Amino acid sequence: MAIHDELLAAVDGKRGVDAADRLCEACVTLFDVDAAAISLVFDGANSGTLGSSGEPARQYDELQFILGEGPCLDSVSSRAPVLVVDLADLDEARWPVYGPAMLDLKVRGVYAMPVLVAGEYIGALDLFRAQPRRLEDHHFAGAIAAAELASLPLLDLLDTDMQAAFGDPNSDAWADLHTLSRAEVSQATGMLVAQLGIEPAEALVRLRAHAYATGRSATDVARDILDRRLRLGEED
Amino acid sequence: MTEPARETSALDAVVSLVETVLEDFDTVELLTEFSERCVQLLDVAAAGFLLADPLDQLRLLAATTERARELELFQLQADEGPCVDCYSTGKPVSVADLTEAAGRWPRFVPAALEAGFASVHAVPMRAAGLVLGALGLFGSGPGELGDADRLVAQTLAHVASVALLREHAPTPSTVIPQLRAVLASRVLIEQAKGFLRETLDVSVEEAFAVLRAYARANNEHLTAVARRLMTDRHARPVLVAAIAEFATSPRP
Repeated sequence: MAIHDELLAAVDGKRGVDAADRLCEACVTLFDVDAAAISLVFDGANSGTLGSSGEPARQYDELQFILGEGPCLDSVSSRAPVLVVDLADLDEARWPVYGPAMLDLKVRGVYAMPVLVAGEYIGALDLFRAQPRRLEDHHFAGAIAAAELASLPLLDLLDTDMQAAFGDPNSDAWADLHTLSRAEVSQATGMLVAQLGIEPAEALVRLRAHAYATGRSATDVARDILDRRLRLGEED
Repeated sequence: MTEPARETSALDAVVSLVETVLEDFDTVELLTEFSERCVQLLDVAAAGFLLADPLDQLRLLAATTERARELELFQLQADEGPCVDCYSTGKPVSVADLTEAAGRWPRFVPAALEAGFASVHAVPMRAAGLVLGALGLFGSGPGELGDADRLVAQTLAHVASVALLREHAPTPSTVIPQLRAVLASRVLIEQAKGFLRETLDVSVEEAFAVLRAYARANNEHLTAVARRLMTDRHARPVLVAAIAEFATSPRP
């Protein structure tokens, strides 16, 4: 099975933390790494690990929030992947505290791919390796694809109503991403920002939640918002 | 247009576009201009650039039109159509008569005919051994894309690829994040259009025109204005007031 299909199979029918965990496990299997985690960053401060391939991954990832530095934070602030092949390499001493701490935990390679929601860089997929080795091109491309998919569990978790947090055996990650990447959905997101005085990520969460609640596609809901047939109010 | 006149205007366009690429520019704005040039230079009625995202799904980056029905045609091509075929094979696709392609693209063809198009063409965008996406062209009458037109289209697609990747020597690890960043700026620009539709009470098309004109008048990148509007809540009120004032002031 192609890498993309394996990644999609890992998250289909899952939501929220469950989807994030399955995606991390798939990354470990597919990209020849030892641990993977997905974390969310708001306003430059790391606000937490959402999914992981297991307890060690969670530990490596959470260390960044405790120490206030690390690959996830850098990849969000630079809006680009962060690839460190060997933390023991003196030329790579970009994290004076996190680097040595990870070496103590026997982690040599760290790779972070930013995760976007509503056009904003709000989190990262972090991969960890015990051996210092370059991430091969096809693994790199696969990890970026996994980071693209990771926006779905992040959206689930930003939805405080949690109506999207339950598993849905019919959910189709590919179709979901396809719909959410459409121009009308982004335009309607912008309208909601203006109407409700909220930020784009929250606006997209509201749009998506309304679509789920009414059993319609996000595109249809977006068109109604754009044509002013629908106005999401405080009650939504 | 006569052949020599067409050649001259094609070369003229290529020269000015390459000049733009050598300067500081905004990618979405530049590719929007490229798509407008396609319509002026080639015998087509609409043009658009589709770029593959990290999951190999084609997404619309820039097009000549904001009309919903035509946007739909570009967006439909996430699933099927000339651009998808062009992207997956890396080769140009040309269909002189759409009515004969209904079996090949059962969803795309009726939508394209409905929108008033009779022929479609696509040329690939390539770099670093990867196919990045495709330039899609829609004709209102049936007919092949002539050799000269195909060359002009391919040249524009090449220059567009260079523009997308200008910052680094292309390798997969530089190309993929750059393409992703450009797609993210498109998302912000779409959001900004919706935001201005609401705050200025104008159509999405007018909102885009205001946003582009405002960015140009202030010598700023389209993406930079959209990003500030959508992601910087502290700068937003002042920027909204400035754009609103700009939109109501008389312009040449």
